[in-house]
Amino acid sequence: MTQSNRIDAGGRVDRSQVLEFTFNGQRYQGFKGDTLASALLANGVNIVNRSFKYSRARGIVAAGAEEPNAVVQLGARADTQVPNVRATQQGLYNGLVARSTNGWPNVQRDVMSWVGRLGGGFMPPGFYYKTFMAPASMWMTYEKYIRMGAGLGRAPTESDPDIYDHMHHHCDVMVIGAGPAGLAAALAAARAGARVILCDEQEEMGGSLLDSRETLDGVAATRWVEQTLKELAGLANVTLLPRTTANGYHDHNFVTLHERRTEHLADTARAAGFSGQSRARLHRVRAGQVVLASGTHERPLVYANNDLPGNMLAGAVSNYIRRYAVVPGNRLVLSTSNDHAYRAALDWQEAGRKVVAIVDARANPDGDLVRQARDSGIRVITNSAVIEARGHQRVTGARVSAVDLERFVVTGKVDELECDTIATSGGYSPVVHLSSHTGTRPQWDEALLGFVPGKVKGMISAGGVAGQFDLGETLADGARAGRQAAQERGFSGAQDIALPATRTRRESPACALYQVPHEKSALRAPKQFVDLQNDVTAAGIEVATREGFESIEHVKRYTALGFGTDQGKLGNINGMAIAARCLDRSIPEVGTTVFRPNYTPVTFGAIVGRHCGELFDPKRYTALHQWHVENGAEFEDVGQWKRPWYFPRTVNGKKETLHEAVNRECLAVREGVGILDASTLGKIDIQGPDAREFLGRVYTNKWAQLAPGRVRYGLMCKDDGMLMDDGTTSCLGDNHFLMTTTTGGAAGVLEWLELWHQTEWPELQVYFNSVTDHWATMTVTGPDARKLLSELTDMDLDRESFKFMDWRDATVAEVPARIFRISFTGELAFEINVQANYALHVWKKLFEHGEKYNLTPYGTETMHVLRAEKGLIIVGQDTDGSVTPEDLGMQWAIGYDKPFPWIGKRALSRPDTLRGDRKQFVGLKPKDPNVVLEEGAQIVFDGKQSIPMDMKGHVTSSYYSASLKHGFALAVVMGGRDRMGQTVYIPMTDGTVYEAEIVSPVFIDPKGERQHV
Amino acid sequence: MSNVREFNTVPEGNPQVESPLAWSYRQHPVPGAGSQRAGVTLREKALLGHLVLRGGAIVLDEAVRQVLDMNLPAKPNALVFDDSGERSIQWLSPDEWLLIVPGGEECTLEHALREALGDAHFSIVNASGGQTVLSLSGENAREVLMKSISYDVHPSAFPVGKGVTTVFAKASVVLRRPSEAEWELVVRRSFADYCYRWLLDASSEYGVDLQQ
Repeated sequence: MTQSNRIDAGGRVDRSQVLEFTFNGQRYQGFKGDTLASALLANGVNIVNRSFKYSRARGIVAAGAEEPNAVVQLGARADTQVPNVRATQQGLYNGLVARSTNGWPNVQRDVMSWVGRLGGGFMPPGFYYKTFMAPASMWMTYEKYIRMGAGLGRAPTESDPDIYDHMHHHCDVMVIGAGPAGLAAALAAARAGARVILCDEQEEMGGSLLDSRETLDGVAATRWVEQTLKELAGLANVTLLPRTTANGYHDHNFVTLHERRTEHLADTARAAGFSGQSRARLHRVRAGQVVLASGTHERPLVYANNDLPGNMLAGAVSNYIRRYAVVPGNRLVLSTSNDHAYRAALDWQEAGRKVVAIVDARANPDGDLVRQARDSGIRVITNSAVIEARGHQRVTGARVSAVDLERFVVTGKVDELECDTIATSGGYSPVVHLSSHTGTRPQWDEALLGFVPGKVKGMISAGGVAGQFDLGETLADGARAGRQAAQERGFSGAQDIALPATRTRRESPACALYQVPHEKSALRAPKQFVDLQNDVTAAGIEVATREGFESIEHVKRYTALGFGTDQGKLGNINGMAIAARCLDRSIPEVGTTVFRPNYTPVTFGAIVGRHCGELFDPKRYTALHQWHVENGAEFEDVGQWKRPWYFPRTVNGKKETLHEAVNRECLAVREGVGILDASTLGKIDIQGPDAREFLGRVYTNKWAQLAPGRVRYGLMCKDDGMLMDDGTTSCLGDNHFLMTTTTGGAAGVLEWLELWHQTEWPELQVYFNSVTDHWATMTVTGPDARKLLSELTDMDLDRESFKFMDWRDATVAEVPARIFRISFTGELAFEINVQANYALHVWKKLFEHGEKYNLTPYGTETMHVLRAEKGLIIVGQDTDGSVTPEDLGMQWAIGYDKPFPWIGKRALSRPDTLRGDRKQFVGLKPKDPNVVLEEGAQIVFDGKQSIPMDMKGHVTSSYYSASLKHGFALAVVMGGRDRMGQTVYIPMTDGTVYEAEIVSPVFIDPKGERQHV
Repeated sequence: MSNVREFNTVPEGNPQVESPLAWSYRQHPVPGAGSQRAGVTLREKALLGHLVLRGGAIVLDEAVRQVLDMNLPAKPNALVFDDSGERSIQWLSPDEWLLIVPGGEECTLEHALREALGDAHFSIVNASGGQTVLSLSGENAREVLMKSISYDVHPSAFPVGKGVTTVFAKASVVLRRPSEAEWELVVRRSFADYCYRWLLDASSEYGVDLQQ
């Protein structure tokens, strides 16, 4: 297919580089420098999509981010799909493949269009809400089909081959938009020495100067753009980010930018020749000052059938001609309310195609551009407007009539002009979206006929967005903003910069024109579209106001005006104007809408960045991790730690199950010796003369008498009296303690100690430091533990000189170590702490000597079973933030008579914590020895009670015990301690009811003799 | 003396010792190391002595002068080195400093400082097994940091002789700038592998040279 709409000269495309691309299965050619949109227009592609609700044929309307129709699904492969890409923002590359997001089986013959044609008249606003209201339960089903019909792009079904990343920035001045104002601002701020970031969403920086008819210093405006960019690129304090959209403007001048890094080059970064580079990058910018130079969006006029392909914005027509050398038709009718749009007709004519007429709504336009058009022989029809487009799949004519804007009626005879393109301009809306993200409401400016940004602290708006439409004033405004921003940041030497000379033109004032009247009422006339992307019509807004929706916020929600990825770029002001007319109010009285981030869609990949896959969350490893991996451990996540769960062996070619491995590991500990990597336990070094006093205040039990060399188990409560953490604390010296915490509680406990020290007891002389990572901890436990350890240390391990709950300095396998005689298994146990860098050495030595004792490594699962057999709790498993030490039967660890009250003490005397029927910690022995109860299962006293049953407790831990040869459980049961020997029932969802006997939670060695051997 | 139990963790013999990254080097070697242009050079300064000093600035300063002939940096976020460049002191918080010294010196240094500090209220904690230092240099080192850290690492905001505790991806690190060409990350042992792999990933587009 030839590029029938491409003209031979001009434009910024490189005709020597021909690029092949595919759209909706059809192959086309474009040039380097094209966007997908300009290449489609060059090839005369009229229909690029089907509309959202009515399934009407739609063509390209705009040339930038405001494009509502040419929203495509990009990607050649299943894994490279990107939904909702605006063709106007997608740089063309060789091999590009894109499809329309809507329209099945294709946009030319859309089977859904019957909905629009037959149902169109019956689809008022709120159609879906009203039609699919009942039954409510069916809405999910309806919605699925409605969404399928609507077609909002497809998520990729395969994993993305590309990567995305983030980059953090800080700058003095963040300039958003590299048009005339933005360039001048960046230059002024940069020359003053400020750190400047300049971003622009287009393929090339320059903004409106890239398609301008204006000259700067007497030569093409693009020359000044080139010079300025060259200077900026050479400055070390400037970061230029082309192809980068400022999508979100958050509190405190935090701006998020979305940079498209390789997607203008190829389907994947790798195909573009990159390695390790991201496809898109999210820049997170903390800016001292923001210069908002986001320019304007031209407002289309609202007239009948204004959505037919061939209806375009006047500025877009100029843009395609001058920047891409593409004339998107042969015969043009221009309908305008202002002088500026005349450029489109002049450009069109200069490109060698026919301008049928300029239809101007004003009575006596006589600005310089108007004269120039008349002098060029273009017919200018005043006091009139295009009231309706004619055609089926493309414009074939424009119905033009005199209009009375005051009375909102068509006044004259309707003329039909033969044409294939209707360009319109109803004025220019400042792009206030970003400023609105901060929560500031835009302000209506009656002279401009548009909203300008409200005040935002630390933001200066410049150029078009601030209502400056004249080029010379825009440049000066930008320079002023850049200088002021630099000064605000302390660059007091900021100077005026020399700006290029511009030509001043006489301009006749624009008139206010939004919706164009038709001979028929809005409800009977052919559809007049306000929001093309969401299929919102003028009639729809009129109906909404009649149904009582008076605030524009309500109108918006009822009609979908400005929803979704569009964010009201073309339609919002027209919609407000129509609502205002229907309600007989002014536009600011109707209200302004809020624009929300993101300005244009940001791919999820860019939001996630590298925080995915293996890097999604830190994985914390102990110093012994490599040994665990090499010895076949299965791992369990405990917080961010990877802990060995169990160590399955292969027996007769078959790998043990969890159950088999745990049974074997448990018996090894009870009958021989086992070893556990306990390095993940939190460890806090506490020093200071008041360390002991502090411990007494945060633990429930007493610490005053604990001598150096001794260890004590402690319980820590929150101020509500509920258990928050537990662990052993060793007295290292009179002013020196080592506290251990649960693995998951380590960081929280340290914060808790610091909080109380810093806010409540700053007078206590004590310091806390985490030493969790410094020490590696190995637990050697079982009847043979002493024999094994004595082979590696010269320390006296005798039961009399090194008692249960003692600790000593020692050397183990040549490495200085601290050995703690504490036990979480109920067996003889030694916890060996060594500096972590030596841990692997000591561990391996233990195994060298442990072979003859069948030293068995065990993981967290076996640890859980062994401690449960002893009735030892795990905070967070057997407790849930509603359990007191009393509930756990740990009265022995509560020092009610301590001189200084400890955290939680008062709460333990509340009536609720003293109730006799609180859930108390007990053991459960299932009547059937083979049953292992479900953890979390509810406990009832009457197994035959009908539902809802009275729930009296729940199972907190439950395992099979290889030592006891039956299942057993720990539980909390109301008044459980007084119910020893009683039978309780555990009903399951499948109707089974298990029976169990309430017993002591200590199942093995109730007298605790084994750990004292 | 302060009634604190000192503990010399330095062995007398030569048992096998492993840096926190030993596992990572074996598990995740750099793909094609050395074969390409390296915009980033990554090196672990392994097995150094790390002490965390807490207490009042004035008494600690006196002790540090006496024992190390160095000034305690009083300015927030300051980092100072001794003449050899092998010993450094970094301000961490109003009552907290990080001392990094050649490996093996830490316990004798702790002892000397304790002697000098006498009965003052302070704490010294040996953290040598719990953290390691990653050095980052090369022309793209700053960009790698910008991809990882939200703190401002521009030379105007982060001059040589500055150090901060900050967030690195999803971990917490101490970031410091010992010289024009080099950045140091002090990372916790258990997070070292995550930080190392994050750095390799963030550096891959520039080419990375890993020096072990």
